[in-house]
Amino acid sequence: MDCDDCLQKLYAFLDQELESSDRTQVAKHLEGCTDCGDNLAFEERFLQVIRDCGTSDVAPVDLRRRVAERLRSVVPPPTA
Amino acid sequence: MAEDAFESEALSYIDALYRTALRMTRSEADAEDLVQETYIRALRFREQFTPGTNLKAWLFRILTNTFINAYRKRARQPQTAELDDVDEFSLYRKMSQDTPGSNNADPEQEFLDGIVSSEVKEALAALPEKFRTTVLLDVEGFSYKEIAEMVGVPIGTVMSRLHRGRKFLQQRLYDLARERGIAALRTSGPRPD
Repeated sequence: MDCDDCLQKLYAFLDQELESSDRTQVAKHLEGCTDCGDNLAFEERFLQVIRDCGTSDVAPVDLRRRVAERLRSVVPPPTA
Repeated sequence: MAEDAFESEALSYIDALYRTALRMTRSEADAEDLVQETYIRALRFREQFTPGTNLKAWLFRILTNTFINAYRKRARQPQTAELDDVDEFSLYRKMSQDTPGSNNADPEQEFLDGIVSSEVKEALAALPEKFRTTVLLDVEGFSYKEIAEMVGVPIGTVMSRLHRGRKFLQQRLYDLARERGIAALRTSGPRPD
């Protein structure tokens, strides 16, 4: 596996979506290639920043209250 | 699943549903309507949910379908044009090639540390429609397979949309960081001789 192949599979590797044979090949390449290793580390940190910032919003209190009321108001199906 | 368990677990996903709806519709009012509609449908079709399976994924599937069917046409479009060469953009390369004025030994980390939360949210909302939903579902932690099922595309399409979407975010955040840097220079004004 060369650097181009490795970069092609970098995201799937990070997302833990590679099949085991591909995963082994990428891991082996990363062991011997500092540049791809640094690239991977950067992409990993970048995705973490996106996830941290992208999941920080919360629903408005009023919306939560309305939805909670609706969920509570549902009449349970009759039990036998 | 017991009645109470379904309802309390469903309610626990409201923050994730809301922020995803907000970035899909780009409107707070539409996002609230979309989330309410999602819960109404979830209650209407709750018999179709198989207890023990992934309730979060089931709710997100309803959210995505509702958005595609009812909201997408009128969702406000981003101001940014789609970038033709976004595939090729590599922030890592950019950082190691041009870091003007940086005395930091680790410009990549310096860049990541400087990213502002509001800029990430702006970049997510600015994602072109074509790959926005896929990226938003990824941010919420769904697998390629789950996203493929929700959006109704093959896994290969999810992978290419994620690739393009992430590159778009990198480009966007790089541009915003540059603007921020230029603005900071302007604020500080010319240095006296």
